[in-house]
Amino acid sequence: MAKQYAFHFDASVCNGCKACTIACKSKNALPVGINWRRVYEYGGGGWIQDANDPSIMVPSNIHAYAMSVSCMHCENPLCVDVCPAAAITKGDDGIVLINADQCIGCRYCEWACPYGAPQFDEDAGAMTKCNMCVDLVAKGQNPECVNACVMRALDFGELEEMREKYGTVDAIEPLPKSDITNPALVVTPHRHSQPSGQGSGRILDMEEV
Amino acid sequence: MNFREWALIAFTIFAQMSVGAFLILGVVHYYASKKAGPEEADRLSDRALIAIGITLGLGMLASLFHLGSPLSAPRAVSNLATSWLSREILAGVIFALLGVTFAAMQWFKLSSIRNRNIVAWATSLVGLALIYSMARVYMLPTQPAWNTLATPLAFFVTTLLLGSMALAAAFVANYAYVQIKNPGCADTQCELLHGVLKGISVAGIVLMAIELIILPLNMGYLASGSPAALNSVRLMAGTFGTLQALRLVLVFIGAGVFGIFLYISAEETGKESLMGYLAYSAFALVFVAEVLGRMIFYASHQGIGL
Repeated sequence: MAKQYAFHFDASVCNGCKACTIACKSKNALPVGINWRRVYEYGGGGWIQDANDPSIMVPSNIHAYAMSVSCMHCENPLCVDVCPAAAITKGDDGIVLINADQCIGCRYCEWACPYGAPQFDEDAGAMTKCNMCVDLVAKGQNPECVNACVMRALDFGELEEMREKYGTVDAIEPLPKSDITNPALVVTPHRHSQPSGQGSGRILDMEEV
Repeated sequence: MNFREWALIAFTIFAQMSVGAFLILGVVHYYASKKAGPEEADRLSDRALIAIGITLGLGMLASLFHLGSPLSAPRAVSNLATSWLSREILAGVIFALLGVTFAAMQWFKLSSIRNRNIVAWATSLVGLALIYSMARVYMLPTQPAWNTLATPLAFFVTTLLLGSMALAAAFVANYAYVQIKNPGCADTQCELLHGVLKGISVAGIVLMAIELIILPLNMGYLASGSPAALNSVRLMAGTFGTLQALRLVLVFIGAGVFGIFLYISAEETGKESLMGYLAYSAFALVFVAEVLGRMIFYASHQGIGL
């Protein structure tokens, strides 16, 4: 397998604090409205009448957990295939990068990506996206979001190494199924996590992300 | 809906209308040549050719406003290997270049009829490729509402329906212009006009019927699909339900009801001004209906994932 850098995300310990979002925004000086890493709160369930005493409401299948999402630097990136300007490329290290000078701002990659990674910068007239902090990675350091995580829920390394350490789960709700783009991601599920496509919950904080 | 999406609506509608009109014009010209000879056929169709060119030009201009960096538009053909968007733009440019070449040859009667026919055939084939690649652009695995057979079918139906209705209006306008010099329905042009409008009104009724069949079939198919597809159906039939109903009523009245009246009035001579009003109104109604349909198309897609 070719070299492929990847993120690991541990949903069982993430507390949804969004330090990763802020660290990324700060490191990359992202404008208002653009967040290369975002934290989604996913949950569901509700209160139902107790079977023995209908006057009492009891919790039923209530669950919630946080999911930190950036560009997945997919092994089969749809954005690279569809970009008409050939402005998105996948490097030898597996990192998917947008060349802002080549980008024409058609926003087609935005429709193609199932992770919401490419985001449009109105002022630049071009798309922007997580670059896995290539500058830090080149110096042997971790991306800024990984450094900033107070719960140690994020890790970074080669995909094979991440899989050896953390397993092979790459799709829990609210992420899409992984067979479309093969994301370079390893997830440690939360105890309430449901596999992608079988979720009974919804994203609870859409206005925040 | 923002300005960028308006640019896409204008581009796809105008490009489809011009390809459709070019294709139908070819059929009409063939019919008219058989019936009355090449000169009368040219008299009928040459001015419409110019209108098609202007329509395509407007569409391509509109497409630039969709870009974050309009001046970098030429780079949009950099990824022909895998991007249907690159292929669409290339097909659009070639269609425009061939179309302009053909229009110039036809207008100034350059080269032989045979050579002009070859260029017209090439233009038509590239036009079909343009509509096909335009549909494929939207058939992304991450956009279930677009990734169905209904997208190419609906695009081709819109292409032919808008093309026919636009041509009917163009022929009526051309006839009115010819009449200024030579009033009365005694000449070949008048006979040709009656024949052509009968054909177009039948084509319009059939295409309208196909459009009315595709929509519910597609919504039924999507409703049994993924949650994202189901959300799209809710948008198509719920949130935009009023617009959807209006669009269906308009296309039914324009191509269906007015189509029938157009056919009946084209059966008799001496009803040319009535034919004119009917053809203009049918075109206007179908045009508005197709624009509404395209607005709903862009507003109701729901990506899977985040």
